[in-house]
Amino acid sequence: MEKEILTKEIAKKLMEIKGEVRGFAFKDDAEFILKEKGEEGLKKLEDELARVGYPIEYKKIKLMNFYPIGMQILNLLAIKKVFNFDDNKFREMGAFESKLPLAVRFFMRYFVSFKTMAKQTSKMWKKYYTAGDLQVSTYNEAERYAILRLKNFRLHPLHCRVLEGYFPNSAKMVVRRPVTCKETKCLFLGNAYHEFLLKW
Amino acid sequence: MVIEEDKKKISLLIEDLTFLEDYARDLFSFSPLPICFISLLGVILEVNPAFEKISKYGFNEIIGEITDKLFKKEEIELLTKDTLDKGFIEGREIIFFPKKGKEIIIQIFTKTRKDEKGKAVGYFLSFIDLTKIKKTEEELKNSQIALLNILEDTENAREIAEEERNKTREIIKSLTDGLLVFDKENYLALMNPQAEKFLMVEKEELIGRKIADFSKFEQLKDLADLIGTEIKENLFRQELKLTENFILEISTVPLIASKRKIGALVVLHDISREKIIERMKTEFVSISAHQLRTPLSAIKWTLKMMLDGDLGEITTEQREFLNKTYRSNERMIILINDLLSVTRIEEGRYLHTLTLNDIVPILQFVINSYAGEAKKRQIKLELEKTKEKVPKLLLDVEKLKLAFQNLIDNALKYTPAKGKVIIGVDCNNKEVVISVKDNGVGIPKEQQKRIFSKFFRGTNVIKMETDGSGLGLFITKNIIESHGGRIWFESEVGKGTTFYFAMPIKKAIKRRLKKA
Repeated sequence: MEKEILTKEIAKKLMEIKGEVRGFAFKDDAEFILKEKGEEGLKKLEDELARVGYPIEYKKIKLMNFYPIGMQILNLLAIKKVFNFDDNKFREMGAFESKLPLAVRFFMRYFVSFKTMAKQTSKMWKKYYTAGDLQVSTYNEAERYAILRLKNFRLHPLHCRVLEGYFPNSAKMVVRRPVTCKETKCLFLGNAYHEFLLKW
Repeated sequence: MVIEEDKKKISLLIEDLTFLEDYARDLFSFSPLPICFISLLGVILEVNPAFEKISKYGFNEIIGEITDKLFKKEEIELLTKDTLDKGFIEGREIIFFPKKGKEIIIQIFTKTRKDEKGKAVGYFLSFIDLTKIKKTEEELKNSQIALLNILEDTENAREIAEEERNKTREIIKSLTDGLLVFDKENYLALMNPQAEKFLMVEKEELIGRKIADFSKFEQLKDLADLIGTEIKENLFRQELKLTENFILEISTVPLIASKRKIGALVVLHDISREKIIERMKTEFVSISAHQLRTPLSAIKWTLKMMLDGDLGEITTEQREFLNKTYRSNERMIILINDLLSVTRIEEGRYLHTLTLNDIVPILQFVINSYAGEAKKRQIKLELEKTKEKVPKLLLDVEKLKLAFQNLIDNALKYTPAKGKVIIGVDCNNKEVVISVKDNGVGIPKEQQKRIFSKFFRGTNVIKMETDGSGLGLFITKNIIESHGGRIWFESEVGKGTTFYFAMPIKKAIKRRLKKA
């Protein structure tokens, strides 16, 4: 028998994770579901969240408000459960969200060069989350790669896939080339932090 | 307490921020103009729905892409540079490449976006699709060219028309015939110099007037009467005697354009000279005939005396020669008499005395005078009288006899032996109709039109009878018509001919009353 990935108990535990996330993170997930599955898909997702005791009406989420960080992983698990998305689909979701207007508007002032963006990485992260710290640990323009390190952020491996989609697309806006991204270290694999290798 | 207040303030700020973000998003989405934001690196960071629509790229496809994908590299680089230098660009035309379809000419507007420190972070770009405007511009340009061509053509056509008009005017001016052109309302529109000369009037006095107004001029009264107030159509060669020696021939022709009558043309042709020549010719023939008749009469009586033996005995051979000479002299006398009749007809002084007469005895008299000839030719000659009472008619008896003689003479001459010539008399309340019917050789169809012309003789009858001047029917027709009557015939070659002449009763009575 397949293990249930989202129950009321699991949801409750997730909501106990410390930290908060900005409302537009939810909105962006909802935009992707709307694009992929339409209004009907979005309704299914809302029903699933209600079932586990955390009813969310996406239309009512305030973009700038902070919500419990557990809400985001609850959201991802519900998406996984309802639509059975694989890892690539979550990466695609991350890539899509990196292009949404609000994210771009927040960060456009940093998209003048990779160097500028690298300096502001931590600041950019904190516009999303109150937990965790994101830094560019290595940047090699000549060999065209960079390493991003995310510390103190233990959410869910599904979120790592979303970031694997989000980071390269943001990077593409400053390196002007297609960028690949792979999580080389992960808290859920026993490492001390998450590490993402970007190549272009 | 302080923390609580800060939280409230933050909550208010977030609420305002959310509202402003929603507002900016709605405004951006609403704009019908395509708008995008381009980073300093030339990467497209944001597009609105109008931009997605015109570029045919979904936002997911175009965000993060470099501008070379949508614009010519050199054009967008220059635009970026100028925008950053100047802060904005307004109305520059460049080429835009959508995902599908043809390139589009657009008019670009840009404005630099700066961060809180006043440093440029990129620029907004919006544009207007000039395709329709360019198309309209092109169409207008083409229309303008077409219009100019039309104007040029019209000008050429006008020049040609002017030239043609001048040419026509000159032709009309130099025509030897007088021309009067009336418009569709029958107002005189044009009059050439020759018409002015003929009618002895300045065109300025007549242009714009109706024909009825012509009567105000004494010399134009007869012309106005002849043409009629509504301008008779197809008046053909009607003579109009303006003075003793000045005669015009008047013809009218309707002017038709696109199957509609647009006016009428009156042609005044001077026939004075022809008339004078004709009169001189007639006078010459008349004098000649008179001069010839006296010696011919003398010859006739001398021959008669010789044949009667008053000048002594003659031999049979001499008698034969003298008889031939006598007959030839008789033919010559007849010819001279005919010629004299013709000249009198042409001089209009042919009929002498019109008196009320019963026509039937006159016909009977002529028939009787031909009885011998008919018998000789073995032809049955009869008068078939009508049962109706034939009214009396105003007649010049001698001339009518001559006319009737000509018809009977022809009928007998051109009807073979054992044929018949039947004279019929019929009448109605308007006229008395006389018919002379034979079963002779008939008149060939192609020659029937000329039968009443002077000196005309049918080709088939010349072979039968060498005698004949070709003046008989001409004289007959004139005699009948000068009585107000009419003459016509029906004929078929090999079957015979019937000549009819109708003498008017009403006219006769009218004339008689008038005379009384």
